[in-house]
Amino acid sequence: MAEKIFSEIPMRTWHWLGVNEAGIEENVLLNPVKKTLEVPANSENDLTVVYKEDNYGDISIKVGENSCLKLTQVQLLPVEKDHANEVTVILAKGAHLEMAVVEAGAKKTVSKVKVVLEGNNSKADVSVLYFGDEKRHIDLNYVMEQKGRNTEANLNVYGALMDECRKVCRGTLDFQRGSKGSKGYEKEQVTVLSGKVRNSSIPIMLSGEDDVDGHHAVSIGKIDEEKMFYLMSRGLDLKESRRLIVEAAFNPVLDKIASEELRDEIDSYIKGRLGKNE
Amino acid sequence: MEKTKTYIEDIERTLYDIKNEDRSVYKSQSGLTEDVVRDISKQKNDPQWMLEHRLKSLEVYNSLSLPAWGPDLSELNMDNIVTYVKPDAKLSGSWDEVPEDIKNTFDRLGIPEAEQTSLAGVGAQYDSEVVYHSIQESLVKQGVIYTDMETALSEYEDIVKEYFMKLVPPKDHKFAALHGAVWSGGSFVYVPEGVKVDIPLQSYFRLNAAGAGQFEHTLIIVEKNASLHFIEGCSAPKYNVTNLHAGCVELFVKEGARLRYSTIENWSRNMMNLNTKRAIVEKDGIIEWVSGSFGSHISMLYPCSILHGENARCEFTGVTFASKGQELDTGASIIHAAPHTSANVSTRTISKAGGKATYRSAVKVTRNAPFAKCSVNCESLMLDDISRSDTLPAMDIEGDEADIGHEATIGRISDEAIFYLMCRGISEDEARAMIVRGFVEPIAKELPLEYAVEMNNLVNIELEGTIG
Repeated sequence: MAEKIFSEIPMRTWHWLGVNEAGIEENVLLNPVKKTLEVPANSENDLTVVYKEDNYGDISIKVGENSCLKLTQVQLLPVEKDHANEVTVILAKGAHLEMAVVEAGAKKTVSKVKVVLEGNNSKADVSVLYFGDEKRHIDLNYVMEQKGRNTEANLNVYGALMDECRKVCRGTLDFQRGSKGSKGYEKEQVTVLSGKVRNSSIPIMLSGEDDVDGHHAVSIGKIDEEKMFYLMSRGLDLKESRRLIVEAAFNPVLDKIASEELRDEIDSYIKGRLGKNE
Repeated sequence: MEKTKTYIEDIERTLYDIKNEDRSVYKSQSGLTEDVVRDISKQKNDPQWMLEHRLKSLEVYNSLSLPAWGPDLSELNMDNIVTYVKPDAKLSGSWDEVPEDIKNTFDRLGIPEAEQTSLAGVGAQYDSEVVYHSIQESLVKQGVIYTDMETALSEYEDIVKEYFMKLVPPKDHKFAALHGAVWSGGSFVYVPEGVKVDIPLQSYFRLNAAGAGQFEHTLIIVEKNASLHFIEGCSAPKYNVTNLHAGCVELFVKEGARLRYSTIENWSRNMMNLNTKRAIVEKDGIIEWVSGSFGSHISMLYPCSILHGENARCEFTGVTFASKGQELDTGASIIHAAPHTSANVSTRTISKAGGKATYRSAVKVTRNAPFAKCSVNCESLMLDDISRSDTLPAMDIEGDEADIGHEATIGRISDEAIFYLMCRGISEDEARAMIVRGFVEPIAKELPLEYAVEMNNLVNIELEGTIG
């Protein structure tokens, strides 16, 4: 079956880089699990979505004035399945989104998240963790549209890659005209654990407004040798040391997940993969 | 706190806008057909292989479509562009022999004066042909060749044939193909092994004819352990019709060699600047780009460095200033293709008065390039809310031994910084001026002196109170 374009970056670039769009087999998209939610004004809401079987999930949420939404999305599909998910969140005046995303399973996963900071003083904190091994393919596209005045968007992405994994991560901060006084921050930190990984990072910043403060940073490197040396000189073996360091890097995201049970599940899922023999 | 805005004076363009009467002795027909290409080739007495190259490129041009990204190029109509304009002047080694009006143009641009004081060689191209070329005798004795491409093609045909459009093949993109078909003029530099050229060489490209295209080809070969600083300047007077610049620069930096390539591009605001620049750097070689983009209506310019040999290095420093009616899409691309290669990219963009500045880059680390290091830093300053500033970097990294960092910021002049300086007794105007000067300083210090002065004039600050 043919591949279908699932998501695109807001501004295209060189074709040879192969990062303009993400595609997925058409049959993955056949039966979406749809969820819509409206968070009324002045309230708080928690939503946790865990994908273990579904091919395609599509979530659309409106957060009312001065409300807060805690959204947790965890993807732990078995390694032989493909997966697609999309999330759209629209924030009204003073609304706050706290979002934690874990992308750890599936053979191929495509994910798109769009947060529209429509109301003045709205705020979004999105923390993402991804882990890729073997021949897995992870393709992420996060877009933060800042429309209201004094909005704040934070996108923090932590990832670890090993074996022959292929990963593309696109993160966009889009300061639209009128978003005066807004701030945006985007960071991706990638730890590459073994030699045949292919990693693409595309941090985009678009601005039609001068009174904004935008910053993005990407760092891609192997595991810190000094940390490894420290741990190994204390009697831990290579795999154990590596596992500890990677887990420590993931903690900022895992800490945002309220359910201890779910945290443990993710932890043991990743631990199992990190500890396996190469 | 009431917010104030800084107004930055536009570039003083009067100097560049003085037009000469079009006294060309030959003009190709406008548009692009096989006949036009054959005609250009005949006018230029090309060898047979070059004619074939041109025709092949034309075929490629016709088969490729416009890029599906970047600025909108739909207003470019090749049917209206005259691809070859031969000025009424022969190539000369003395300014006295250059026709008065052409000489005056270069005088105003300060070229002969700079030649006396700070350059080891000068090339001056007017429309499609080079009208003046000189090089210091001492360099000639050391075997340095600095001449126009046409002379190179007849006198050093073997070298030209070996390198010409090998780094930027016509099928690279549509405008590379166009260049391959109708190229004319440009400079050829050959620095033999071990020769260090301490004083810069400069080529200046001036497009005088309205509705014309300039397609100069610059080919530089710096042999083992040699070094060179090459400066390229470009300008044109403003017309109401679209002019096109689709030049091509190919730089070959051999083992242990060093090349610094500085450009100040100040085309008029009716120019489409679709230029291709590429360098290949062998073991222990260094390429340093200094690139200032101030002019043109639309620019697409991304100098590319292929780090082909172990330890090859690239330093890229760029500044882009987009004002009213300008859409400047600039950046760099770096390809790490050997172990221990490193690159450092540092750019600044400023946009104002509705100008649109885009920083676009690509960093590619291949599997053959363990221990590659690359650091990219780009900062954008917006001076009002009707302009745009976009940053679009991409990194594609294979393997686990690379160390890659990218950082970008966007914003306006911060009130805190102004406040800090004012607390120390500096007036508000001066504080703003200091901040903008400080913003472009890392670039300004890389420029040759006369260009640094030009850029400082450009960043001539004037406080205009509150707008918007």
